[in-house]
Amino acid sequence: MLNRAIVEGSALAVLALAVGLVWVRERRAARPESDGGYTTREEIEFEIGRVQSEVYRWLTTTDHRDIGLLYIFFGTAAGLWGGVDAMMLRTELLTPPADIWTPETYNALFTTHGLTMLIFFVLPVFFGIGNYVLPLLIGADDMAFPRVNAVGFWLLPPALILVRMGLLIQVLGQVLNLMLPAEAIRFFLTMREVSVGWTLYAPLSVQQPNPQIDLLLLGLHLSGIATTVGAINFITTVVYERGEGVTWANLDIFSWNMVVTSGIALFAFPLLGSALVMLLLDRNLGTAFFATEGGGAILWQHLFWFWGHPEVYILFLPATGLMSLILPKFVGRKLFGYQFIVYSTLGLGVLSFGVWAHHMFTTSADPRVKLSFMAVSIAIAVPSAIKVFNWITTMWEGDIRLTAPFILCAGGIGTFIVGGVTGVFLAVIPIDILYHGTYYVVGHFHLIVVGIIPFLMIAASYYWYPLITGRWYDTRLARFQSLLIVFGSFVTFMTLLVIGGLGLPRRQAIYPPEYQFAQQIATVGGYVIGLSALLWLYNMLVSYWRGTPVTTTDPWGLKATNQFTREWQWFERRMVEKYDVEPTEPETTRRSYAPEGEPTGLAGGVGTVAQTVSRNAWMAAAGGFVGTVLMSGGLGTAILIGVLDPVSFGEIAELVGLPASPALGAVLFLVGGTVTWPLLFLAFSEYLPGRLLFETGLVFATLISSGFAIAFYTGQSGLAFVGYLTFVVVSHWAYGIGLTVTFQYLKSDEALRNRGGSDG
Amino acid sequence: MSAGADSFVFQYLAPFVGVLLIAVGIAGAVPGGYALVEPDLENCGNPTIGVESPAETAERFGGDERPRLPRLAFADLSTAEQEGFRAAIADPVGEEQVVGSVPNADAFRRGAIVSYEGEEYYVTIVAENTCFAAAPLQFPLGVFAIALGFLGVLAPPLYRRLVRLEQRAGRSE
Ligand code: HEM
Ligand SMILES: [Cu+2]
Repeated sequence: MLNRAIVEGSALAVLALAVGLVWVRERRAARPESDGGYTTREEIEFEIGRVQSEVYRWLTTTDHRDIGLLYIFFGTAAGLWGGVDAMMLRTELLTPPADIWTPETYNALFTTHGLTMLIFFVLPVFFGIGNYVLPLLIGADDMAFPRVNAVGFWLLPPALILVRMGLLIQVLGQVLNLMLPAEAIRFFLTMREVSVGWTLYAPLSVQQPNPQIDLLLLGLHLSGIATTVGAINFITTVVYERGEGVTWANLDIFSWNMVVTSGIALFAFPLLGSALVMLLLDRNLGTAFFATEGGGAILWQHLFWFWGHPEVYILFLPATGLMSLILPKFVGRKLFGYQFIVYSTLGLGVLSFGVWAHHMFTTSADPRVKLSFMAVSIAIAVPSAIKVFNWITTMWEGDIRLTAPFILCAGGIGTFIVGGVTGVFLAVIPIDILYHGTYYVVGHFHLIVVGIIPFLMIAASYYWYPLITGRWYDTRLARFQSLLIVFGSFVTFMTLLVIGGLGLPRRQAIYPPEYQFAQQIATVGGYVIGLSALLWLYNMLVSYWRGTPVTTTDPWGLKATNQFTREWQWFERRMVEKYDVEPTEPETTRRSYAPEGEPTGLAGGVGTVAQTVSRNAWMAAAGGFVGTVLMSGGLGTAILIGVLDPVSFGEIAELVGLPASPALGAVLFLVGGTVTWPLLFLAFSEYLPGRLLFETGLVFATLISSGFAIAFYTGQSGLAFVGYLTFVVVSHWAYGIGLTVTFQYLKSDEALRNRGGSDG
Repeated sequence: MSAGADSFVFQYLAPFVGVLLIAVGIAGAVPGGYALVEPDLENCGNPTIGVESPAETAERFGGDERPRLPRLAFADLSTAEQEGFRAAIADPVGEEQVVGSVPNADAFRRGAIVSYEGEEYYVTIVAENTCFAAAPLQFPLGVFAIALGFLGVLAPPLYRRLVRLEQRAGRSE
């Protein structure tokens, strides 16, 4: 069994070293080299002095933009650490027995992975983005309490170190053990990473002797204080520091989301703090809050999830805020239904406190109580659905620009739809009892925590990169990276949904060999996510030194659609003051909600008939393949849930005269989806309604879904019938969007090529 | 750059296939390579035993209530087991790998009481440490896939460089 501490320690060290090397190399390359001679002594001293003053500046800064960047660096580093845990988890799952790590190591891995990601990655990054852009968006000079802001940030690094001290101490212990006898360094050999699961369920968390658990609880408590402090600052800033003309009614949607998120945090984190203190007391001072004689183990679960469920929304709402802010910029339309999005956000904020017991359906409670939790949990889907509806409507008739941020937004909507719909099923008690504790749950929540949340963080990093650094990132690499991470997430977490639906339990290092192939697919998908994260990191680091400098005051051409929001106005002022550039004026402007709409002229193109035909055929095939893969995810889920009968796939095989095997049918289905339907679409799209290809695609998908619904109907009735129809239609939409977006993507790429420009 | 300077195949398809190859390659090479080095790194095939102190043992079995477990005297253990047992007692966590023959493995697997210097210790196997097995080709093929994948990922800049080269060649002709 490999030694976890050594492997993870080295992996992180290599990563840090690589980042450092890239940084130093690019920095040197970017500096005008005079004569290439030896470095002089003065030069070194100068360099040291510069580093010292830089360090001092970053340690003492109270500027909201600096603190925002600190939060973002910290969150990214924690995310990479937790990501290394995830890669190690997935590596163990390559083989059925626990032969790469021991089961105990595996338990430690999923515990620390979950905690690091949920507490130290997502929240700090969002607080960082909030710190950087929120004051700019609302026209404030700084956050309301700049010093408190700095304190709030500086509590986080010690918190992370306390929580993850186990690993550091283990590495240290093993290094010391090479030189000293075990007796002398007993402490270092006793401490290990916590392995009781990130939910810290009593009684295990009370009884396990590992002293690292106490440090972890203290670290979590500290991070809770940091979060509360930050939340208070955000609320005060938005309430009191709004600039002239910024009212609640025209407050931008991202700030709205940050306010609601902070509100939730304000109520949730103090509660977590109290629960943690109770657990600490139980562990160390013999109180009995969670002992059977006292409150019992279930009390811990109630307290934990009363924080835990709102926490999910604390993570998720800023992502939706970014989506509502960024998406309109790339479709040239104003956000559709601003008011409803605000209401839905407020609604989620309130409702999120009323559903915690859906995490406890498998514990005993009065069925009537459970039923009420089930009702609220299903109801909470409504505000989320409103958001999706509004995003899709925003794209409708839009003038889509296929940039990396747009790809991530569209991909995020996709993963959120699947993640959200699978969540509604988990809210239903009988289904939850079946799937609780299986990979279905892991697939469901990762479609959201890996789908929409990091996607939108990355989208924001691209969108504001020119604003923050004054340079462009490598846009081609960014588009590639975006497609890659969307692809990797679908592969990984759709697979987990499927194997969970088949009943494979989660949190087990050992699993039956039948699942090996599926697990390997999920692992390879996971590695693809990891690699694309590295590509992102590389792009961010290198472009800081090498990216093309921004020469316009309106890098995204937002003025043309009247979406030149305040943070960019601030950017323009700064560019004018600092670099004396002329403010950019667009040639034409139009109202952002009345796009001109290009004629569809679907395939367009030049060349002979034969060239056009073959070109269309392969583009269609590529689009069809993407669409079909997306669609199979939806249909696969439908089969798992039992609303779609796989036997009906056998019937397709029979239709063409093959044996009635569902597998054969599925292959035929894939082939049909890749070849036949896209060509039909090309042939008929001229006659379908919808001005833009993507709408036509939806119409087309809806039309063919009716045929599918009839062909595959196997006598479902009642709820099963509703579920069947919903899944059929939604899967077809995924198909239609996948088909047309891929198609447009290829076409825009070709157009660029024909124009002869590199994509700049 | 001239019209032909962007190619879908080289700009997107090749790096995509490249990333997939790297991912599959890691999945193959890591376990494959691990299987090769494991015997040199540590003793696989020998179980790790956990030994509880007399106090813990007494607590676990509730004092005088006689547990129906196999009882062994320290002398009944093989040399390797004796060494492992003593090391486990000294270990802060109470665990140690037994290196050598383990004739009492079955008893330990179920849990056994070992009496040693007048005290009773509860002994179980906490990890089997089975040797990891992988197909011999897995490692070389995995490494190959990673290398090929890197080539794919680097295809776009390489391709652009080649195009530039040709253009320059065309101009100088
Ligand atoms: C934003 C990023 C992520 C977040 C917030 C996150 C969160 C979590 C959480 C909270 C758990 C604990 C589940 C439990 O209680 O068992 C978990 C488990 C897990 N995560 Fe992630 N995760 C992220 C990214 C990833 C990635 C990229 C992968 C894979 C490549 C991954 C793979 C896993 C696996 C395999 C488990 C263990 C599941 C189990 O034990 O049953 N996670 N994750
Ligand atoms: Cu919940």
